[in-house]
Amino acid sequence: MNRNLKGIERDIRKIIGKEICCSEWHSSIVLEGEVNQWSEVILAGKLAANKGYKGVINKIKVKGLVLPQIKRPAIEDKALEGKIVDVLIIGGGIIGSSIARELSKWDISIMLIDKEEDLAMHTSSRNDGMVHPGIEAKPGSKRAVFNVRGNELYSKVTEELDVPFERCGSNWLFDKRWVKLAKPFIMSRAKKSGVKGISFLNKDEMRRLEPNIIDDFQLAIHFETTGILSPYKMTIAYGENAVENGAEVSLNTIVLSMEKEEEKIISVTTNRGKIYPKAVINAAGVFADEIANMAGDQFFTIHPRKGQIIFIDKKKGQLINSVIAKPPINLVKGNTKGGGIVKTIDGNVLIGPDAYEQPFKEDYSTSRDNIDAILRRHLPLVPKFSPADVITYCAGNRAATYEEDFIIERSEYVYNLIHAAGIQSPGLASAPAIAEEIEKITYKLLSEVIQVNRKEHWNPRRKSIPDLSKMAFEERSKLIKQNPDYGVIICRCEEVSKGEIEDALRSPIPVSTVDGIKRRVRAGMGRCQGGFCMPLVMDVIAKETGKNMKTITKKGRFSNILNSDVQEEYKKAANSCDCQGIGGEDGGIHE
Amino acid sequence: MSKAYDVVILGAGPAGLAAALGAFDKGADTIIIEREGSPGGILKQCIHDGFGLITFKEKLSGPEYAERYIKEVKEKNIPMLISTYVVKVKKIEGLFYITLVNSSNGVFEITSKSLILANGCRERTSKQVFINGTRPAGVYSAGTAQYFVNILGYLPCKKCVILGSGDIGLIMARRLTLEGAKVVGVYEAKVAPSGLSRNIAQCLEDYSIPLYLSHTITRIIGDERVEAVEIAQVDENMNPIKGTEEVVECDGVILSVGLIPENEIAESLNISIDRGTKGPIVDQNFMTGIEGVFSCGNALHVNDLVDYVSESGKFAGENAAAYVKEKEKRLLRVVKAEDSNFLYVVPQYVNLQSANTKIVLYFRVRDIKSKATVQVTYKGKVLFSKKYAHLKPPEMERIEIDIKDLDIDSEAAGVFEMSMSY
Repeated sequence: MNRNLKGIERDIRKIIGKEICCSEWHSSIVLEGEVNQWSEVILAGKLAANKGYKGVINKIKVKGLVLPQIKRPAIEDKALEGKIVDVLIIGGGIIGSSIARELSKWDISIMLIDKEEDLAMHTSSRNDGMVHPGIEAKPGSKRAVFNVRGNELYSKVTEELDVPFERCGSNWLFDKRWVKLAKPFIMSRAKKSGVKGISFLNKDEMRRLEPNIIDDFQLAIHFETTGILSPYKMTIAYGENAVENGAEVSLNTIVLSMEKEEEKIISVTTNRGKIYPKAVINAAGVFADEIANMAGDQFFTIHPRKGQIIFIDKKKGQLINSVIAKPPINLVKGNTKGGGIVKTIDGNVLIGPDAYEQPFKEDYSTSRDNIDAILRRHLPLVPKFSPADVITYCAGNRAATYEEDFIIERSEYVYNLIHAAGIQSPGLASAPAIAEEIEKITYKLLSEVIQVNRKEHWNPRRKSIPDLSKMAFEERSKLIKQNPDYGVIICRCEEVSKGEIEDALRSPIPVSTVDGIKRRVRAGMGRCQGGFCMPLVMDVIAKETGKNMKTITKKGRFSNILNSDVQEEYKKAANSCDCQGIGGEDGGIHE
Repeated sequence: MSKAYDVVILGAGPAGLAAALGAFDKGADTIIIEREGSPGGILKQCIHDGFGLITFKEKLSGPEYAERYIKEVKEKNIPMLISTYVVKVKKIEGLFYITLVNSSNGVFEITSKSLILANGCRERTSKQVFINGTRPAGVYSAGTAQYFVNILGYLPCKKCVILGSGDIGLIMARRLTLEGAKVVGVYEAKVAPSGLSRNIAQCLEDYSIPLYLSHTITRIIGDERVEAVEIAQVDENMNPIKGTEEVVECDGVILSVGLIPENEIAESLNISIDRGTKGPIVDQNFMTGIEGVFSCGNALHVNDLVDYVSESGKFAGENAAAYVKEKEKRLLRVVKAEDSNFLYVVPQYVNLQSANTKIVLYFRVRDIKSKATVQVTYKGKVLFSKKYAHLKPPEMERIEIDIKDLDIDSEAAGVFEMSMSY
């Protein structure tokens, strides 16, 4: 395609009515200027995308909008100062963790860093856990290719890493019988992408699979390869297996700058000291463009596309068995996901997500309008679902580029930089395949500078924390006999024992936050949302780690659960109050 | 297999303890199963007074009240398994198979001829009342905050707002104030408080804590700890009114937005649940739709006084013991309370064949009513009539009817109708 900066400038001016300056840099297009709202930034970026340039670097500002600084870890130390590693992976989401695991089969030193207190703190714990069949992305795009391959690989990798995975299938329901006419189109698309197991079902056939769904549809398309898993358990499993095979994980570690010599990264400065890597892998999710920029290789822009997700009570889980959606007819076009109803691997039902552009990469707030809209749209698919079944909701941001495709490549300009960026949906489904590809690229890069050999005793297998609630009674009793703490139930809604929480605290990547425990063993994930078990979980954390209760956080940084000892406050208040006493049922503060 | 118990009671809170005594005193072979490490239920953390005014004519603290029952259970050597969790319950040919887990026995099973569900209730969460915004630390249900302060001795926050005017929220407003925290205000979406009048007076007014009716939290602000909340006025349908939003700085949000009976075990047995009470549908003996399963206390419906919880537990225990000795035929007639005036009535059925003809009805009204007459009739015959000066939704009412003189033999079908005139 011919590159035409003036033409793009003209298009943007015509549609947005604003003067945007377009220039070329490293065969990418740079957009600069000022507009009135975020939607105009997005529109300009889209107008410039896929017009013959490698990527869009969108530097357009919104008048009056100051974007918040990236959140830094609370720690500042020199723990990593002078550290020399073969590979530095930036980002501990599903992509960084899976790459660490695949690379750990080589006899090289690997360090994975993440700025948060745990792995999977951003998009990897804020998605629907669906392993897509690979039909939605355009055939030939990286999103299609890696999705189909990733989907295949999940059978093996979930078995090796002991992560529950189920090919539950997904179903699209349609009102119009004429959708059947689109069958040749869909089948040819499936063939191009290599998606197997697609069938067209009439209403009766569909209702046999899902007896509790609405009656109000005419036709369904069934995808049998669709799977479901817990995205954060998967990420943690990958990370743990990498650690068991010698990789290092450093949490609370943020990249502050990079130092280069002759287009090669020499060192990476973090809040915990300077690291000297031979290769750097950018798997920084929504921040991947900022990491690329630090390395002087930003040829893309991440625009966080937010989605909100609702979870409903397990007790309604038995009403469905798979993933169900009633997509708009034109779903095969466009990038906006419609969302649907997903039976999770843990038995809950997840509804959503929606999708909308907004500028804040770390804003995970939910809003009433979105939650109401998701419920209105999807809840009626199963008439027995009710808003009273909702137990919680959350939000996540998809790391989308303007090209709307994955970036999985070695940098063209920085010798030792590899990008695994722009990993939006179906990123979870594609992760094993992306890791496989990045492993190959990294091997080639490292082989140029060092001898890279297979590790002699690489162990592809990892054991997860036993889930006693799902065990046969005899096996469960046997474990309780070995460790009586497995018989002490801490979380009553999810039937999680003290022993399982202790296991999480002793795991290869131990995380002593309340949310970290929740993601590993599900304590606090049930219908009371930790109302009963949160203090008990904190007590187990305190006893196991020796931490003071007051220093235990929900999710790291300054998210402490407790404020102070009652006694301290009592004393302070008593000292500052020189008149009547405070405390006691009858001696309270009276005027 | 070991012998079957006559009565197995799930829960050693005030309902379960009273049920155990009720069953034991009627000669039943009884056992209590408790998931926590000690008996007493939620009373363990309720260190304020006011418990037992009806039963003991004394103002006791929660632990003191519980202790009276625990002592009696111990004196009578009624067996109790603590730190024991129910994994599964099934009923086969009139016998209940209860699968339990604890640290000393692993997974094991006991059998019983009857079952009493005294599981209590849980608190509704922020998301269940559709609060949005961020998900920081510093959002607690009132019961969790109470556990932190009264059991563990920690103060969860220094400056908080309380959403909902349920009793635990009011109690916690006072408790946190006494411990040196600042309670900015109690916000209630309804037009009237949900808690008891005495708690409004003793916990808020006495401490000058403002109560804002028709207000709710629309948004929580702060990524790590709560930094502020957005408060808005609500209309009569409890929807926020645009333009009334106001940001209130605080480091904690305490929720007291309602209690839900814990009935997952009842549901697993396919016991029908009342949409009003969210507890099982029962007859005057507190027997549910499944023969041999009884429900009492806050698992049956949320009570405001522990005395009624214990009363229902005792009834359930006695009736379970009677059921084991001699099974009565069931001829059930509906107790129907007018939807427009009553939130619910318990029991929802009367067994006309039961020897128990003195029936206690518990009910709540939908709205505040003054000078209203409540009547219970059966086929036109007035069984109960009383004029009330005031009726309020937060205050559960208890009435008694006697059906001894009803000529039931000739009755084909009839309904116990509960109505109100004002």
